[in-house]
Amino acid sequence: MTSIGTGYDLSASTYSPDGRIFQVEYANKAVENSGTAIGLRVKDGIVLAVEKLIHSKLLVPDSNRRIQTIDRSVGMASSGLLADGRQIANRARDESYSYRDVYKESPPLKELVQRMGLYVQAYTLYSSVRPFGCSTILGAIDKSGPVLYIIEPSGVAYGYHGAAVGKGRQLAKTELEKLKLSELTTREAVFEAARIIHLVHDDAKEKEFELEMSWIGAETNGLHLPVPKDLLEEADKKARDALEDYDE
Amino acid sequence: MDHFPTSWGRQRNDAYDAYNTYPLHQRPNPGHDAFADSVQHTQQPIVTGTSVLAIVYKDGIMMAADTLASYGSLARFKSIQRLHSVGTSTVIGASGDMSDFQYLQSILDELIISEFTEGDKHELGPEEIHEYLSRVMYGRRSKMNPLWNSLLVGGKKDGKRFLAYVDLLGTTYTASTLATGYGAYIALPLLRTAVEGRENDLTEEEARKILEESMRVLYYRDARSLDKYQIAIVNDEGVTISEPQKLVTSWGFAEGIRGYGAQTQ
Amino acid sequence: MPDGSFAHPQQRQFNPYSENGGTILAIAGADFSVIAGDTRQSEGYSIQTRYAPKVFRLTDRAVLAVNGFAADGNVFVKKVKQRLEWYRHAHAKDMPLRAIARMIQTMLYAQRFFPYYVYNILGGIEEDGSGAVYSFDPVGSYEREACRAAGAAQSLVQPFLDNQIYFKNQQSLPGQSRPLHLPLPEVLSIVIDSFTSATERHIEVGDGLEMYVVLAKGRSIQGLESFRGVQELTPNPDGDRVFVIRRELKKD
Repeated sequence: MTSIGTGYDLSASTYSPDGRIFQVEYANKAVENSGTAIGLRVKDGIVLAVEKLIHSKLLVPDSNRRIQTIDRSVGMASSGLLADGRQIANRARDESYSYRDVYKESPPLKELVQRMGLYVQAYTLYSSVRPFGCSTILGAIDKSGPVLYIIEPSGVAYGYHGAAVGKGRQLAKTELEKLKLSELTTREAVFEAARIIHLVHDDAKEKEFELEMSWIGAETNGLHLPVPKDLLEEADKKARDALEDYDE
Repeated sequence: MDHFPTSWGRQRNDAYDAYNTYPLHQRPNPGHDAFADSVQHTQQPIVTGTSVLAIVYKDGIMMAADTLASYGSLARFKSIQRLHSVGTSTVIGASGDMSDFQYLQSILDELIISEFTEGDKHELGPEEIHEYLSRVMYGRRSKMNPLWNSLLVGGKKDGKRFLAYVDLLGTTYTASTLATGYGAYIALPLLRTAVEGRENDLTEEEARKILEESMRVLYYRDARSLDKYQIAIVNDEGVTISEPQKLVTSWGFAEGIRGYGAQTQ
Repeated sequence: MPDGSFAHPQQRQFNPYSENGGTILAIAGADFSVIAGDTRQSEGYSIQTRYAPKVFRLTDRAVLAVNGFAADGNVFVKKVKQRLEWYRHAHAKDMPLRAIARMIQTMLYAQRFFPYYVYNILGGIEEDGSGAVYSFDPVGSYEREACRAAGAAQSLVQPFLDNQIYFKNQQSLPGQSRPLHLPLPEVLSIVIDSFTSATERHIEVGDGLEMYVVLAKGRSIQGLESFRGVQELTPNPDGDRVFVIRRELKKD
């Protein structure tokens, strides 16, 4: 890290001489150290999946959820600092509310993402604040159909067919690229998502993890809901089996 | 009491500020609203809906309301829905000011969404919705700025039927038969006769018939009513609000009424 | 306008109050207290519901009856209960009756210029074990009494209680003394008679009757067991005890 000791990394309001903002780059590091989160935008829905690393056996299963609900049909998976993710989720809910207050309908995800991008970017401007240490995957079904975005700590936001953030994002992206996402059904995507999370999980380095998944589609009446327990377990088991075959 | 010393003003100090011109720190919020005198509160309803009826029956609750929104005596809007589902186990029906009702719909919708986003799988049932509504209504009446409605709240959750009333004063009560507006004078006696003591026996068909007959009587007698109405049902399957349906009425008898038909004497 | 009808533009003001009928009463005995109310709620000539309770158990030794504008009444009871809960959290015991009475006066007077339009009667057991009744006006004036009626049929019931409880206008036989306090069965009969009579003569009273009996700690049940449909609300028979007795009243 050449930036250390130069003094240009002490504040988000100072550029380095070659035009970088180190605080934002450090924020990305926080994301890179965190469990993988992926999102799949498929034919008729969205699937979000998270590799939630369990740092203590004393934790209650299912607690500290990293997938949150923003609106009836908007879900969010975050990677990085969980507390920052919650702050972003709360802001997204407020934005959703304020849009609905004015227009009497839920915001298109694009609009919500733009507003959230502005919000996140504002935290890269001042010396008094720190950028968000998390990347956010937002997925929804809106008027235009299934949509999926990532908002990065810098505030940039892009739309994706398949999204991956966190530790195993490279491998996850490779796997996502192999899929014909626009032909998959949401139910099929649940199995693919589970498989990818299991695949990118590094058994050697990491301890336990919990597979957390949610979906939006015809089967949920367009609502963002956790994947039902039996389906989750089925996908989880299938992913484990596939992994064993893969290893052999 | 304002505990900020800077809001208290100062005594004049001739030694250094003989004319009291030294600026005091300005507090961000003036203690009063400069426009308070110009703020108007609702003094009367404008576009109004008439009676809502509701009864408890064997499998749940049933509610009925016509689809008219009147502007005084003018039948202004003839296909306005006055029954509204809230969450998955509650329905509300409104008489009184329709714009206030639409406002209530939007805050209830927001309430349901904020509960949904909690992700704890807890859902608000009819009892909670009614309590919430009564707080809102009483709160507004206490600010002398009421939401001009009489509302019925009904539903079924965890096998428990619930039916209750709340109005612009915050007055609440529950009963197995309820009616707002003219319905309380004309339909409620009919409903009580038909329902009281038979709450656990009435079938959906019977309940529907009782409400339809009451709606017909109301249509004959209430000049601000319409022969187009909807029925909402909440049972174990959730909330269903019917499409608008027509009342079958016959006005042949009118010919024989003095002052109404063709007679001149 | 020639007739002057528009000479003074007039503002119709929203009236934030209503009057929901019904009647409540309470009678204190030596070591018990009876607090009762009918269950009809009405507005004008309409019966809104046949069952809307006006009497509420606050603690194991305090019961509050509220009558007047129902919306204010319900909110007021809710707030009193909340204050009592806070008291429990702070002091690990129930608030004593006379303290509840003073608290109620404070809460009512706080709304002096936008009053709760309710008449409160608080009944229960004091710390010395005696039965007590406190009655309030809407803005908080209160006193401890032996008996009180309030609400729509106050003017019917109170004179009857004055006669039966205070022995007003009664000539006692020579050598016969008057009891200071009546026994419980007699009090309950008076309460029932009060309400059946009020139901006969007042259109806003009827449908159902709820009578709460608060019994001081360690006292005998005083013939309460023979009362039809008596139901105990307190879990612990060693402390103060609260019972409720329900009766039908005429519904016309």
